[in-house]
Amino acid sequence: MYPIILLSFLGIVVLFLGFAKSKAILLPATLLFLAVALVGNFVEWNQGTIIYFYNMLAVNNLTLAFNGIVLVSAFMIVAMTRGFQDDDEAQPAEYYAIMLFSLVGAFMMIGFENLIMLFLGLEILSVAMYVLTGSDKRNLRSNEAALKYFLMGAFATGILLFGIALLYGATGSFTLTGIQAYIGQGNPSYLLYGGLLLVLIGMLFKVSAAPFHFWTPDVYEGAPTIFTAFMATIVKTAGFAALFRLLSHSFTGIYDYWWITLAVITVLTLLVGNIIAVYQDSFKRMLAYSSISHAGYLLIALTAMTPQTENSILFYSMAYSVATICAFGVLIPLAREKAMTGKPRETYEAFNGLARNNPLLAFVLTVSMLSLAGIPLTAGFWGKFFVFGSAAERGIIWLLVVAILMSAVGIYYYFRVIMAAYMKEGDTAEIRVAPFYKIVLVTATIITLLFGIAPGLFTGLV
Amino acid sequence: MNTNYLPSGFLPIVVQFVLALGFIVVTMIVTHNIGPSRKGKVKDDPFECGIEVVGDARTPISVKYFLVAILFVLFDVEVIFMYPWAVNFKKLGMFGFVEMVLFMSLLLAGFYYIIRKGVLKWEE
Repeated sequence: MYPIILLSFLGIVVLFLGFAKSKAILLPATLLFLAVALVGNFVEWNQGTIIYFYNMLAVNNLTLAFNGIVLVSAFMIVAMTRGFQDDDEAQPAEYYAIMLFSLVGAFMMIGFENLIMLFLGLEILSVAMYVLTGSDKRNLRSNEAALKYFLMGAFATGILLFGIALLYGATGSFTLTGIQAYIGQGNPSYLLYGGLLLVLIGMLFKVSAAPFHFWTPDVYEGAPTIFTAFMATIVKTAGFAALFRLLSHSFTGIYDYWWITLAVITVLTLLVGNIIAVYQDSFKRMLAYSSISHAGYLLIALTAMTPQTENSILFYSMAYSVATICAFGVLIPLAREKAMTGKPRETYEAFNGLARNNPLLAFVLTVSMLSLAGIPLTAGFWGKFFVFGSAAERGIIWLLVVAILMSAVGIYYYFRVIMAAYMKEGDTAEIRVAPFYKIVLVTATIITLLFGIAPGLFTGLV
Repeated sequence: MNTNYLPSGFLPIVVQFVLALGFIVVTMIVTHNIGPSRKGKVKDDPFECGIEVVGDARTPISVKYFLVAILFVLFDVEVIFMYPWAVNFKKLGMFGFVEMVLFMSLLLAGFYYIIRKGVLKWEE
């Protein structure tokens, strides 16, 4: 609860710091504020479930852990922005403030106890994302992406709101416990099923699950890379935390009704994400499809809905976020140095000969790709292991078979980048990386390897 | 409070909906048929107070115009929150007052930000 208040206030402070003569203060200030919020977040650690604002928000160890993942991801991404120094058009104060505000939305989604809060959090997060997507005002692709994201996102929000209205119509309550109690009475109204379906559609759109994924590649490709990283990690983590909270706290009573719907969507998401990713030439677009496929893996855990689900979603979100930040983090300096005709170069060819030019970047990239592919000794492997384990426990073997086949497909396109970096000859243009940037990338890589070797360190926390 | 709603209870809403729709359809049909109609090229021109049409309607308008318009909506709508507070002023007491001061200071921070950003400067 503290990070919500802290970041709402500190976001305004960042906005006003933008009026200072030197823009150099913005980056350290934002990082400091995020660190303060991180400390504020864990003040309530191990205090059981605390309810705030007349049953609107709940805080427990699980929500705090999700908040922690979101905050650490945001910290790393903000650290990689380097203050937007090389862009005269950039408005760093606004970008940082919007990022901080959007985190408030993410926290609301993670800890919501009332569907109104879910809607509010989702909107705060989404509206911030629409703006950040279009922040590169001179770039036509960025404008297109922002407009697409906004129009489709607005529709999805409308559907979600309609679903919430139907749920209220059926149960007479907005609270998770109220809905659960209504279902507990037995013989629920048909409105409830319709409402649940519409709410699921709205939420699945935000986490880009097929068949609601069509916006993802264009938006991810059009947005400035740093904000793509923000979208791919924070929105997804918060979205899945919210979906898990919704389904596990309210709808376990009608599991038989929704699990098959979710299972079909999961299979579709896995197929679409992995198979289309194979055909991409652009690394950034491949990462967009890869983010769709990872939504699919996370959905497996939701579909299974066993007692292990919360831990597997938590671990998977962490592993996925850290690896994705690394992947985008390598792409940013690379695409900038290899820019052709003023546009960043984001194809696979840009990675040719990376191992010789900059071994550190190549190593970071390799670890992150291995983690996304789910190769042992990386955090991504244990993420997949826990997720598949929950499906096996529930006994949905056919889903498991599809998922394992698709992660085999995933190895192909993740290894293509590694092959380009290590085995192909490329130009010898030196790729410069700021020391601070290096620290972030190395830290993220260490996290991936550490939790890959000893996952118990993380799972033991919650 | 009655919490049992039967489908038949919604009949008045359906009746009102049908009436509203019927009114529109009937007026559209009736006005098209009873009025005198004269067709011609001049009649089809866009109406500009009798002056001949000049230029395209799709001229670019300064973005400042939209900015001011949207800011007006923003600050105008915020005033709505003042009314329920004013009505319940005594009942809400000190708590309500502090909350409202907080709300207004956040709003004014936004206002100050707009001024510093130079959104309201028309000359540039």
